[in-house]
Amino acid sequence: MSSHQTKESSFLGGRIPPEVESMSRYLKDASLTLDQDTFRKILKALVSSIEGRDCREAMRHIAESSVIPEEKLSHIVAGMYRVLTEAIRIPTASLKQEAFKEDLRELRIPEDFITDFASVVFGSRRAALEAVTSERDPHLPTLDELRWRVDVTISTSSLARALQPSVLMQIKLSDGSLQQFEVPVSKFQELRYNVALILKEMNDLEKKSVLKIQD
Amino acid sequence: MSDIDTAKSLTGLLNGIAQKAYHNHGEVTEDLLRTELYPDLSPEDFHALHDKMRGLLKSIAMADMDPGQLEAFLTAQMKRQGGGGMSEGQASALSRFWRSQRARVRESLLAQSRWEPGLRGLAWRVDLQTSSGRGPEAAPGGPVALLELELGRPSQVSEYVCLECDEVTVNQVLKKMADIQRSIDTVVHRS
Repeated sequence: MSSHQTKESSFLGGRIPPEVESMSRYLKDASLTLDQDTFRKILKALVSSIEGRDCREAMRHIAESSVIPEEKLSHIVAGMYRVLTEAIRIPTASLKQEAFKEDLRELRIPEDFITDFASVVFGSRRAALEAVTSERDPHLPTLDELRWRVDVTISTSSLARALQPSVLMQIKLSDGSLQQFEVPVSKFQELRYNVALILKEMNDLEKKSVLKIQD
Repeated sequence: MSDIDTAKSLTGLLNGIAQKAYHNHGEVTEDLLRTELYPDLSPEDFHALHDKMRGLLKSIAMADMDPGQLEAFLTAQMKRQGGGGMSEGQASALSRFWRSQRARVRESLLAQSRWEPGLRGLAWRVDLQTSSGRGPEAAPGGPVALLELELGRPSQVSEYVCLECDEVTVNQVLKKMADIQRSIDTVVHRS
Protein backbone atom coordinates (compact mmCIF):
# COMPACT_ATOMS: atom_id res chain seq x y z
CA MET A 1 0.00 0.00 0.00
CA SER A 2 2.72 2.43 0.97
CA SER A 3 4.67 1.86 -2.25
CA HIS A 4 1.51 2.57 -4.21
CA GLN A 5 1.13 5.90 -2.39
CA THR A 6 4.69 7.00 -3.00
CA LYS A 7 4.20 6.47 -6.71
CA GLU A 8 1.25 8.81 -6.70
CA SER A 9 2.72 11.59 -4.60
CA SER A 10 6.18 12.89 -3.95
CA PHE A 11 8.26 11.51 -1.09
CA LEU A 12 8.10 15.08 0.20
CA GLY A 13 4.38 14.78 0.73
CA GLY A 14 1.38 16.23 -1.02
CA ARG A 15 2.56 19.79 -0.55
CA ILE A 16 6.21 20.54 -1.25
CA PRO A 17 7.84 22.06 1.87
CA PRO A 18 8.55 25.80 1.38
CA GLU A 19 12.30 25.44 2.00
CA VAL A 20 12.50 22.81 -0.75
CA GLU A 21 10.63 25.08 -3.13
CA SER A 22 13.00 27.97 -2.43
CA MET A 23 15.95 25.64 -2.87
CA SER A 24 14.78 24.42 -6.26
CA ARG A 25 14.14 27.99 -7.34
CA TYR A 26 17.68 29.05 -6.47
CA LEU A 27 19.32 25.89 -7.80
CA LYS A 28 17.93 26.38 -11.29
CA ASP A 29 18.65 30.10 -11.25
CA ALA A 30 21.45 30.39 -13.74
CA SER A 31 22.58 33.78 -12.43
CA LEU A 32 23.58 32.17 -9.13
CA THR A 33 25.76 29.55 -10.73
CA LEU A 34 26.10 27.20 -7.84
CA ASP A 35 28.92 24.94 -8.97
CA GLN A 36 28.80 21.24 -8.27
CA ASP A 37 31.89 21.40 -6.12
CA THR A 38 30.18 23.78 -3.66
CA PHE A 39 27.01 21.71 -3.82
CA ARG A 40 29.01 18.63 -2.83
CA LYS A 41 30.69 20.47 0.02
CA ILE A 42 27.28 21.52 1.37
CA LEU A 43 26.02 17.97 0.99
CA LYS A 44 28.99 16.64 2.92
CA ALA A 45 28.49 19.15 5.72
CA LEU A 46 24.79 18.27 5.93
CA VAL A 47 25.52 14.55 6.15
CA SER A 48 27.91 15.11 9.03
CA SER A 49 25.28 17.31 10.69
CA ILE A 50 22.66 14.55 10.37
CA GLU A 51 25.22 12.20 11.88
CA GLY A 52 25.32 14.49 14.89
CA ARG A 53 28.62 16.27 14.27
CA ASP A 54 29.17 19.99 14.45
CA CYS A 55 29.15 21.39 10.92
CA ARG A 56 29.21 25.11 11.72
CA GLU A 57 32.86 25.51 10.81
CA ALA A 58 32.41 23.79 7.45
CA MET A 59 29.33 25.86 6.70
CA ARG A 60 31.09 29.13 7.49
CA HIS A 61 33.91 28.12 5.21
CA ILE A 62 31.48 27.37 2.38
CA ALA A 63 29.65 30.67 2.89
CA GLU A 64 32.87 32.67 2.91
CA SER A 65 34.30 31.09 -0.22
CA SER A 66 31.06 31.18 -2.21
CA VAL A 67 29.93 33.98 -4.45
CA ILE A 68 26.29 33.33 -3.67
CA PRO A 69 24.65 35.80 -1.28
CA GLU A 70 24.39 34.28 2.19
CA GLU A 71 20.63 34.63 2.41
CA LYS A 72 20.09 32.63 -0.78
CA LEU A 73 22.68 30.11 0.27
CA SER A 74 20.86 29.49 3.53
CA HIS A 75 17.64 28.77 1.62
CA ILE A 76 19.53 26.23 -0.47
CA VAL A 77 21.07 24.59 2.59
CA ALA A 78 17.72 24.41 4.40
CA GLY A 79 16.04 22.84 1.39
CA MET A 80 18.81 20.29 0.89
CA TYR A 81 18.61 19.32 4.54
CA ARG A 82 14.89 18.77 4.24
CA VAL A 83 15.29 16.64 1.11
CA LEU A 84 17.85 14.42 2.84
CA THR A 85 15.98 13.96 6.12
CA GLU A 86 12.66 13.33 4.40
CA ALA A 87 14.21 10.76 2.09
CA ILE A 88 16.13 8.93 4.80
CA ARG A 89 13.09 8.42 7.00
CA ILE A 90 11.34 6.44 4.29
CA PRO A 91 12.65 2.86 4.02
CA THR A 92 14.41 2.02 0.79
CA ALA A 93 11.81 -0.67 0.20
CA SER A 94 9.14 2.03 -0.10
CA LEU A 95 11.13 4.74 -1.83
CA LYS A 96 13.00 3.46 -4.85
CA GLN A 97 15.93 5.40 -6.22
CA GLU A 98 14.18 6.01 -9.53
CA ALA A 99 11.07 7.43 -7.84
CA PHE A 100 13.23 9.69 -5.70
CA LYS A 101 15.03 11.03 -8.73
CA GLU A 102 11.77 11.49 -10.58
CA ASP A 103 10.35 13.52 -7.69
CA LEU A 104 13.38 15.81 -7.75
CA ARG A 105 13.20 16.15 -11.53
CA GLU A 106 9.65 17.38 -11.16
CA LEU A 107 11.05 20.18 -9.00
CA ARG A 108 13.37 20.99 -11.92
CA ILE A 109 16.49 20.39 -9.93
CA PRO A 110 19.54 20.01 -12.23
CA GLU A 111 20.35 16.40 -13.02
CA ASP A 112 23.90 16.55 -11.62
CA PHE A 113 22.59 17.59 -8.22
CA ILE A 114 19.96 14.85 -8.32
CA THR A 115 22.69 12.27 -8.86
CA ASP A 116 24.58 13.62 -5.86
CA PHE A 117 21.46 13.57 -3.69
CA ALA A 118 20.79 9.98 -4.69
CA SER A 119 24.33 8.90 -3.94
CA VAL A 120 23.85 10.06 -0.32
CA VAL A 121 20.35 8.70 0.17
CA PHE A 122 20.95 5.35 -1.52
CA GLY A 123 24.71 5.06 -1.14
CA SER A 124 26.98 3.25 1.25
CA ARG A 125 26.38 5.71 4.08
CA ARG A 126 22.68 4.98 4.23
CA ALA A 127 22.96 2.33 6.96
CA ALA A 128 25.11 4.57 9.13
CA LEU A 129 22.68 7.47 8.71
CA GLU A 130 19.75 5.27 9.67
CA ALA A 131 21.55 3.99 12.74
CA VAL A 132 22.40 7.50 13.89
CA THR A 133 18.91 8.88 13.33
CA SER A 134 17.23 5.97 15.11
CA GLU A 135 19.45 6.62 18.13
CA ARG A 136 17.82 10.00 18.39
CA ASP A 137 14.32 8.57 18.59
CA PRO A 138 12.60 9.01 21.92
CA HIS A 139 13.87 6.41 24.35
CA LEU A 140 13.54 5.50 27.99
CA PRO A 141 16.80 5.12 29.84
CA THR A 142 18.34 1.68 29.53
CA LEU A 143 19.86 -0.53 32.16
CA ASP A 144 23.60 -0.02 32.48
CA GLU A 145 24.28 -2.11 35.53
CA LEU A 146 22.42 -4.31 37.97
CA ARG A 147 24.08 -5.19 41.25
CA TRP A 148 22.59 -7.18 44.06
CA ARG A 149 23.13 -8.53 47.52
CA VAL A 150 21.20 -11.05 49.57
CA ASP A 151 20.90 -10.21 53.26
CA VAL A 152 19.45 -12.16 56.12
CA THR A 153 18.02 -9.99 58.85
CA ILE A 154 18.99 -11.70 62.07
CA SER A 155 17.42 -9.42 64.63
CA THR A 156 15.87 -5.95 64.74
CA SER A 157 14.85 -3.39 67.35
CA SER A 158 11.32 -4.74 67.25
CA LEU A 159 11.85 -8.41 66.38
CA ALA A 160 14.23 -10.57 68.39
CA ARG A 161 14.61 -13.36 65.85
CA ALA A 162 13.84 -12.20 62.36
CA LEU A 163 15.93 -14.58 60.23
CA GLN A 164 14.41 -13.12 57.12
CA PRO A 165 16.24 -13.07 53.79
CA SER A 166 15.83 -10.09 51.52
CA VAL A 167 17.42 -8.86 48.31
CA LEU A 168 19.00 -5.46 47.94
CA MET A 169 19.20 -4.33 44.32
CA GLN A 170 20.97 -1.41 42.78
CA ILE A 171 20.33 -0.38 39.20
CA LYS A 172 22.29 2.15 37.22
CA LEU A 173 20.49 3.65 34.24
CA SER A 174 21.87 5.19 31.08
CA ASP A 175 20.67 8.64 32.16
CA GLY A 176 23.13 8.38 35.04
CA SER A 177 20.56 7.81 37.77
CA LEU A 178 21.11 5.24 40.45
CA GLN A 179 18.26 3.42 42.19
CA GLN A 180 18.60 1.23 45.21
CA PHE A 181 15.73 -0.76 46.59
CA GLU A 182 14.94 -3.74 48.73
CA VAL A 183 12.98 -6.67 47.41
CA PRO A 184 11.30 -8.97 49.91
CA VAL A 185 11.62 -12.63 48.95
CA SER A 186 7.96 -12.93 48.00
CA LYS A 187 8.26 -9.89 45.72
CA PHE A 188 11.46 -11.28 44.28
CA GLN A 189 9.65 -14.41 43.08
CA GLU A 190 7.08 -12.19 41.41
CA LEU A 191 9.80 -10.12 39.78
CA ARG A 192 11.66 -13.15 38.49
CA TYR A 193 8.50 -14.68 37.10
CA ASN A 194 7.69 -11.46 35.25
CA VAL A 195 11.16 -11.08 33.79
CA ALA A 196 10.96 -14.65 32.50
CA LEU A 197 7.57 -13.83 31.00
CA ILE A 198 8.95 -10.73 29.30
CA LEU A 199 11.75 -12.76 27.74
CA LYS A 200 9.27 -15.31 26.48
CA GLU A 201 7.10 -12.60 24.95
CA MET A 202 10.14 -11.12 23.23
CA ASN A 203 11.19 -14.49 21.87
CA ASP A 204 7.68 -15.17 20.58
CA LEU A 205 7.50 -11.74 19.00
CA GLU A 206 10.80 -12.26 17.25
CA LYS A 207 9.61 -15.53 15.73
CA LYS A 208 6.41 -13.87 14.55
CA SER A 209 8.12 -10.85 13.05
CA VAL A 210 10.52 -13.09 11.13
CA LEU A 211 7.50 -14.66 9.47
CA LYS A 212 6.00 -11.25 8.79
CA ILE A 213 9.05 -10.02 6.94
CA GLN A 214 8.94 -13.09 4.74
CA ASP A 215 5.37 -12.26 3.68
CA MET B 1 -20.61 -8.07 81.13
CA SER B 2 -21.17 -11.65 79.99
CA ASP B 3 -18.23 -13.89 79.13
CA ILE B 4 -18.92 -13.49 75.42
CA ASP B 5 -19.02 -9.73 75.72
CA THR B 6 -15.80 -9.76 77.73
CA ALA B 7 -14.09 -11.87 75.07
CA LYS B 8 -15.36 -9.58 72.32
CA SER B 9 -14.17 -6.44 74.06
CA LEU B 10 -10.80 -7.99 74.75
CA THR B 11 -10.36 -9.06 71.13
CA GLY B 12 -11.34 -5.56 70.10
CA LEU B 13 -8.79 -4.11 72.47
CA LEU B 14 -6.01 -6.36 71.13
CA ASN B 15 -6.88 -5.46 67.57
CA GLY B 16 -6.94 -1.80 68.46
CA ILE B 17 -3.52 -1.97 70.10
CA ALA B 18 -2.12 -3.82 67.09
CA GLN B 19 -3.61 -1.28 64.67
CA LYS B 20 -1.86 1.51 66.48
CA ALA B 21 1.43 -0.20 67.27
CA TYR B 22 2.01 -2.27 64.14
CA HIS B 23 -0.15 -1.00 61.32
CA ASN B 24 0.31 2.75 61.53
CA HIS B 25 -3.23 3.61 62.52
CA GLY B 26 -2.41 6.42 64.91
CA GLU B 27 -6.05 7.48 65.11
CA VAL B 28 -6.84 4.41 67.25
CA THR B 29 -6.09 6.06 70.57
CA GLU B 30 -6.39 4.63 74.06
CA ASP B 31 -9.27 7.00 74.73
CA LEU B 32 -11.16 5.86 71.65
CA LEU B 33 -10.74 2.21 72.65
CA ARG B 34 -12.04 2.92 76.14
CA THR B 35 -15.18 4.75 75.04
CA GLU B 36 -15.92 2.21 72.32
CA LEU B 37 -15.12 -1.02 74.17
CA TYR B 38 -15.09 -0.37 77.89
CA PRO B 39 -17.41 2.60 78.54
CA ASP B 40 -18.14 1.34 82.06
CA LEU B 41 -14.51 1.06 83.16
CA SER B 42 -12.84 3.98 84.91
CA PRO B 43 -9.99 5.60 82.94
CA GLU B 44 -7.46 4.36 85.51
CA ASP B 45 -8.66 0.76 85.36
CA PHE B 46 -8.77 0.85 81.59
CA HIS B 47 -5.31 2.32 81.43
CA ALA B 48 -3.99 -0.56 83.53
CA LEU B 49 -5.70 -3.14 81.33
CA HIS B 50 -4.54 -1.43 78.13
CA ASP B 51 -0.92 -1.26 79.28
CA LYS B 52 -0.93 -4.86 80.43
CA MET B 53 -2.28 -6.12 77.11
CA ARG B 54 0.07 -3.93 75.14
CA GLY B 55 3.03 -5.24 77.15
CA LEU B 56 2.01 -8.86 76.65
CA LEU B 57 1.45 -8.35 72.94
CA LYS B 58 4.81 -6.69 72.62
CA SER B 59 6.58 -9.61 74.28
CA ILE B 60 4.76 -12.11 72.07
CA ALA B 61 5.44 -10.11 68.90
CA MET B 62 9.07 -9.36 69.72
CA ALA B 63 9.79 -13.06 70.14
CA ASP B 64 7.54 -13.98 67.21
CA MET B 65 6.26 -16.86 69.35
CA ASP B 66 5.23 -20.08 67.71
CA PRO B 67 2.16 -21.91 69.14
CA GLY B 68 4.24 -23.95 71.61
CA GLN B 69 6.10 -20.94 72.91
CA LEU B 70 2.86 -18.98 73.22
CA GLU B 71 1.23 -21.78 75.18
CA ALA B 72 4.14 -21.89 77.63
CA PHE B 73 4.22 -18.11 77.90
CA LEU B 74 0.49 -17.80 78.62
CA THR B 75 0.56 -20.64 81.16
CA ALA B 76 3.40 -18.93 83.00
CA GLN B 77 1.49 -15.63 82.98
CA MET B 78 -1.64 -17.28 84.41
CA LYS B 79 0.36 -18.86 87.22
CA ARG B 80 1.91 -15.56 88.24
CA GLN B 81 1.01 -14.59 91.77
CA GLY B 82 -0.49 -11.22 92.73
CA GLY B 83 -2.23 -8.60 90.61
CA GLY B 84 -0.12 -9.17 87.50
CA GLY B 85 -1.67 -12.55 86.77
CA MET B 86 -3.71 -13.28 83.69
CA SER B 87 -7.22 -14.66 83.54
CA GLU B 88 -8.11 -17.64 81.42
CA GLY B 89 -10.30 -15.45 79.27
CA GLN B 90 -7.42 -13.08 78.57
CA ALA B 91 -5.14 -15.99 77.76
CA SER B 92 -7.54 -17.47 75.23
CA ALA B 93 -8.21 -14.05 73.66
CA LEU B 94 -4.47 -13.50 73.23
CA SER B 95 -4.03 -16.99 71.84
CA ARG B 96 -6.83 -16.51 69.31
CA PHE B 97 -5.57 -13.10 68.30
CA TRP B 98 -2.01 -14.28 67.78
CA ARG B 99 -3.01 -17.29 65.73
CA SER B 100 -4.75 -15.08 63.18
CA GLN B 101 -2.43 -12.07 63.26
CA ARG B 102 1.07 -13.50 63.71
CA ALA B 103 2.12 -13.27 60.03
CA ARG B 104 0.79 -9.74 59.61
CA VAL B 105 2.43 -8.44 62.76
CA ARG B 106 5.74 -10.06 61.85
CA GLU B 107 5.62 -8.54 58.39
CA SER B 108 4.91 -5.12 59.80
CA LEU B 109 7.71 -5.39 62.38
CA LEU B 110 10.15 -6.39 59.66
CA ALA B 111 9.03 -3.39 57.62
CA GLN B 112 9.78 -1.12 60.58
CA SER B 113 13.47 -1.91 60.18
CA ARG B 114 13.54 -1.42 56.43
CA TRP B 115 14.95 1.91 55.37
CA GLU B 116 15.62 1.45 51.70
CA PRO B 117 12.66 1.94 49.44
CA GLY B 118 11.05 -1.40 48.70
CA LEU B 119 9.85 -2.78 45.40
CA ARG B 120 6.08 -2.50 45.47
CA GLY B 121 5.15 -3.46 41.97
CA LEU B 122 6.23 -4.03 38.42
CA ALA B 123 4.38 -3.20 35.23
CA TRP B 124 5.77 -4.02 31.81
CA ARG B 125 5.07 -3.96 28.13
CA VAL B 126 6.85 -5.42 25.14
CA ASP B 127 6.98 -3.21 22.05
CA LEU B 128 8.20 -3.62 18.54
CA GLN B 129 9.36 -0.32 17.10
CA THR B 130 7.91 0.05 13.64
CA SER B 131 8.66 3.60 12.62
CA SER B 132 9.73 6.93 13.99
CA GLY B 133 9.91 10.59 13.11
CA ARG B 134 13.44 10.41 11.79
CA GLY B 135 14.27 6.76 11.34
CA PRO B 136 13.00 4.23 8.85
CA GLU B 137 10.21 1.73 9.21
CA ALA B 138 11.11 -1.51 10.98
CA ALA B 139 13.84 0.30 12.84
CA PRO B 140 17.01 -1.62 13.60
CA GLY B 141 16.81 -3.90 16.60
CA GLY B 142 14.22 -6.33 17.85
CA PRO B 143 11.50 -6.04 20.46
CA VAL B 144 11.97 -3.73 23.41
CA ALA B 145 10.71 -4.33 26.93
CA LEU B 146 9.47 -1.26 28.79
CA LEU B 147 9.46 -1.67 32.55
CA GLU B 148 8.01 0.43 35.29
CA LEU B 149 9.21 -0.26 38.83
CA GLU B 150 7.09 1.04 41.68
CA LEU B 151 9.32 1.88 44.62
CA GLY B 152 8.45 3.33 47.99
CA ARG B 153 9.27 3.53 51.66
CA PRO B 154 6.63 2.42 54.14
CA SER B 155 3.81 4.98 54.50
CA GLN B 156 5.19 7.13 51.69
CA VAL B 157 3.86 7.64 48.20
CA SER B 158 5.39 5.52 45.48
CA GLU B 159 8.03 6.62 43.07
CA TYR B 160 8.11 5.17 39.57
CA VAL B 161 11.23 4.28 37.64
CA CYS B 162 10.87 3.55 33.93
CA LEU B 163 13.45 1.90 31.75
CA GLU B 164 13.72 -0.06 28.56
CA CYS B 165 15.67 -3.23 27.86
CA ASP B 166 16.48 -5.17 24.74
CA GLU B 167 16.33 -8.92 24.68
CA VAL B 168 20.00 -9.36 25.56
CA THR B 169 19.60 -7.24 28.69
CA VAL B 170 16.44 -9.05 29.78
CA ASN B 171 18.31 -12.31 29.38
CA GLN B 172 21.19 -11.06 31.52
CA VAL B 173 18.80 -9.82 34.21
CA LEU B 174 17.09 -13.19 34.26
CA LYS B 175 20.43 -14.94 34.71
CA LYS B 176 21.26 -12.69 37.65
CA MET B 177 17.92 -13.53 39.16
CA ALA B 178 18.74 -17.21 38.95
CA ASP B 179 21.95 -16.42 40.85
CA ILE B 180 19.98 -14.50 43.46
CA GLN B 181 17.53 -17.37 43.80
CA ARG B 182 20.39 -19.82 44.36
CA SER B 183 21.81 -17.50 46.96
CA ILE B 184 18.48 -17.27 48.78
CA ASP B 185 18.07 -21.04 48.64
CA THR B 186 21.41 -21.72 50.32
CA VAL B 187 20.54 -19.34 53.14
CA VAL B 188 17.04 -20.65 53.64
CA HIS B 189 18.08 -24.28 53.64
CA ARG B 190 20.83 -23.73 56.18
CA SER B 191 18.77 -21.81 58.70
